[in-house]
Formats: sequence, structure tokens, C-alpha cells
Amino acid sequence: MSTDVAIAPDIELRLPARAENVAIVRHAFGALGEALDLEPQTLADILLAVTEACTNVVVHAYPDDSDGPLEVQATLLEEELVVAVSDEGPGIVPRPDSPGLGLGLPLIASLAESVQLGHDEHGRTEVRMAFPLTGVDAWDGEARS
Amino acid sequence: MTSLRLANGPLAAPVLCRVVSMVLTRADCPLDRLDDALLVCDAIAAHAPAHTLDGHLAVTVAAESGQMELRVAELSRGGAEQVLEDAVVPGVGNVLEKVADDLRVEPSRTGGNDELVLAISF
Repeated sequence: MSTDVAIAPDIELRLPARAENVAIVRHAFGALGEALDLEPQTLADILLAVTEACTNVVVHAYPDDSDGPLEVQATLLEEELVVAVSDEGPGIVPRPDSPGLGLGLPLIASLAESVQLGHDEHGRTEVRMAFPLTGVDAWDGEARS
Repeated sequence: MTSLRLANGPLAAPVLCRVVSMVLTRADCPLDRLDDALLVCDAIAAHAPAHTLDGHLAVTVAAESGQMELRVAELSRGGAEQVLEDAVVPGVGNVLEKVADDLRVEPSRTGGNDELVLAISF
């Protein structure tokens, strides 16, 4: 991955990959957006993209209906928010019997500034998205301790 | 069970409160106990960061069968006791002790030295 984030994430969530847990992730990012006073359109883009990525994990990562882990990390950099959604499934592969329309990843690509599909340092499948955060005043980096 | 690791700073309280409120809402927690749980979250977010090991607040939350268990992990040695002491409000007393039905300090399972465990029944 070229967008390596050396610093520890500001938010890490790990929860079972179930449909109802996507709402928890979405609310966590809603809180992030409010805390940073993000513009509504920026927050809406982030929420939609993160929701799509998490839904992909729920629908595709564990085809045997097991509750594998869904992990979401958010890292605030100077002018962007980097979000990584990872799972322990077999990876992103074509699926002829897919129940979806196949719009998730193109939608994420259109909403995020950049998207990377691959594996994290633990070998887990990862979708990494970056969103520009222009005009964010609330985060000056000094809050990190 | 939902696990969170939050950087100490302005995101910790709002994100923790949102996640816990979602977990409890899904578990059919009544509003008065949800309000109590958010009070606990605010107290944890306010006082626990001073006693974390690496600048991150590590919390797991689970709710089932009418009870929520909140574990604050990766606290420094004696940190859990310090969090409890810090949660005393003059004229009110210890917020955590008043709200939680069960409150204990355990050796951390995930790193660090102390783990503060709070249970809220509903």
C-alpha cells in the first residue's frame, strides 16, 4: 500500500460482521463527523463509502454465514481521513452468484479521493479509502497524546 | 462484543457514547439506563485517558440478557483505581459507583496492567 499510515489509528472498531453492526460503524463515523464539524456533504460521502465497504464484508467475506470479524480503522492526517475496512475472508474475488448489483466498489471509488484494495500487515483483506478534509478546524493534531 | 480503541482526544467521548448507545438500543435497554450508561461513558472518556499506557482508550462493550458489560482495558498499574477516584464529583459522590451495578478491577487480558469492568443492568 502506498498510503501507509505509520501512526496509530484514531479510531479502531472490531465487531462481528453482521448486518446490524454496520449501523454501529456508521454511527461511530457520524460522531467523528460531528466532533470534527465536517461539512454535511463530506460526512455523507464518508458515511456512504464506509457503509458500502462494511456491507461488502458482511455480504461477501464470510460466505459460510459465520460471524467473522469486521475491523474498521480511521486515521486523521493533516488534510485527509484514511479509513481501512478489513476482514479475514478469502479476498476480493469475482463472485458469479453475488447477491448484490456490483455497485459497491465503484461507488466507493467515486466518493473517496483514493481507494486501495489489498491486504493489511496481518494478511487480511483490506479496502483503504482516503477522504479530503479541507476546511476542518477542529483537529489540529495537538489533541493526540 | 464490540471492541474499540480510541486515541485520547476530542473523538474519544463522542465515538464511545455513540457506539455504546447503539449497542444498548439494539439490546432494548430502557431510556433511563441508557442515559446512565452514557454518563458512565462520559466519565470514562474524561478520566481514563490519563491512565492509559499508549495514549489510546481500549474499551469492549457487550449487552445481552438485560445487562451491559463495559471493560476499559490497557490501563496503567493502579490506573483503574485512579479512574474510580477521579470520578468523584463533589456533592454527588462517585458517579461510576452510583450508576454501575457491578464495578471491579481485574488484571488486563489484552495488555497493560489493569482493566476496569463495569456492569449495568436494565
